[in-house]
Amino acid sequence: MHVVVTGMGVVSPIGIGTDQFWTAAVNGVSGIQRIESFDASGQRSQIAGEIPGFNPAGFLSAKYIEQTDRFTQLALLATSLALEDAGGLDVYAPQRLAVSIGSGMGGFATFEASATRNFRNQPTPPFTVPRTMANSAAAWIAIKHRFKGMNLTCSTACSSGANAIGMALDLLRTGRADAVIAGGAEACVLPLTMTAFEALRALTTGFNTTPTRASRPFAKGRDGFVMSEGAGVLILEKEENAKQRGAKMYARLAGYGQACDATHIVMPEMNGQVAAMRLAITDAGMEPDSIDYINAHATSTPLGDIVETRAIKSLFENRAGDISINATKSMIGHTVGASAAIGSIATIMALHTGIIHPTINLDEADPECDLAYTPNHAQQKNPRNGLCNAFGFGGNNASILFTTLE
Amino acid sequence: MDRAEITAKVIQFISTKVENLDVSTINESSKFEELGLDSMDTIQLLFDAEDTFGINFEGDEAKGFTCVGDIISYIEKHQVPASS
Repeated sequence: MHVVVTGMGVVSPIGIGTDQFWTAAVNGVSGIQRIESFDASGQRSQIAGEIPGFNPAGFLSAKYIEQTDRFTQLALLATSLALEDAGGLDVYAPQRLAVSIGSGMGGFATFEASATRNFRNQPTPPFTVPRTMANSAAAWIAIKHRFKGMNLTCSTACSSGANAIGMALDLLRTGRADAVIAGGAEACVLPLTMTAFEALRALTTGFNTTPTRASRPFAKGRDGFVMSEGAGVLILEKEENAKQRGAKMYARLAGYGQACDATHIVMPEMNGQVAAMRLAITDAGMEPDSIDYINAHATSTPLGDIVETRAIKSLFENRAGDISINATKSMIGHTVGASAAIGSIATIMALHTGIIHPTINLDEADPECDLAYTPNHAQQKNPRNGLCNAFGFGGNNASILFTTLE
Repeated sequence: MDRAEITAKVIQFISTKVENLDVSTINESSKFEELGLDSMDTIQLLFDAEDTFGINFEGDEAKGFTCVGDIISYIEKHQVPASS
């Protein structure tokens, strides 16, 4: 039984909707700017990937806006775009339509705002809990579209979106659903989250006056990731059902691997990353030799990009240099729980169009990062089997394998 | 704030709680239930009023509210007078 992608929706700092996102990605457009949503002059990292054109009033009623956090609103827009792309799922019974969404921080904007009110002895908004809880995005997707099947949320930090898509694959394989709305959403460009990630020394601080140069995976001089917001949603169905309803099909979701480092709460570890990629390939019934493209996790942290490079070399050995690799985060920054969902859309579009989007800001690579990262310009490579990697705090390593339809 | 101004504010709060509600139909005798407000909507409505008018709804008294006029009267009675 094959699972296929029949719809995609993306809300990102470089575009809303797959067409806008993909055109910008292929052209190497950066979506990183100085933070506009709050006064960031006191932050050490003053830049982010925001979506300034995002207007929830354009597609949600006042009631929805009042009861939802921004991460849920981003997820709702990505879902509507994906459903429109898929041509609707009315052929399925509502009880057979599942939702699987990942988010690292959930409704942290609501939490931060309500905490601030509390410190000022102001009344607490009644919807603080339902807006903050990590599963609110998945729940609102179900409410808005009346999807009555399994409703799951995965929170594994930066790998949340990949795990949510992997969980969706499991739901379809085990027959628990006929179609799954799967992806990730995040909206934590906020004073407290920025300060907290700064405290971990995880964010870039050296590019506040040149924001578009800040997210530079694998490049010399990188000094941390750029915080970003966004959402990505896939519509996943069994191939035979999709064919039957005449759906357009972008690619197959062929395999999913997940492995925990079980070593450190935030430091990445190569063996876990190798294990996740290997498991995804095995899960698809394939061999490492068949992989010709990797959408890397590549956050632009000094250590992370080196560890991922070593992991790819370890698994693919002398073929590692032949694999096309790119980093979507070089343009949009790190959307945390949404990153692998958006990365998956970039992977699917690479398989669908044959084009590998560039890794921008890669004028001079770190000597320890010596693979084919598609520097600065898109390449027509016609890949057939692409991995999308996602590695998160907690030692979580996830890898998803998409393949072309033939 | 006089009663008319309070009424306008309360109607504005209600308009964000119920989808497709014709606000011109809301008057002081409108029952929450008739307007389509569920219990969570009413809790949010009380919060909006507390936050805007700097008042506190005492638990038992608020439980007795059934129509728009009840909230308006409570706000009118308890609102913090604007400093002169």
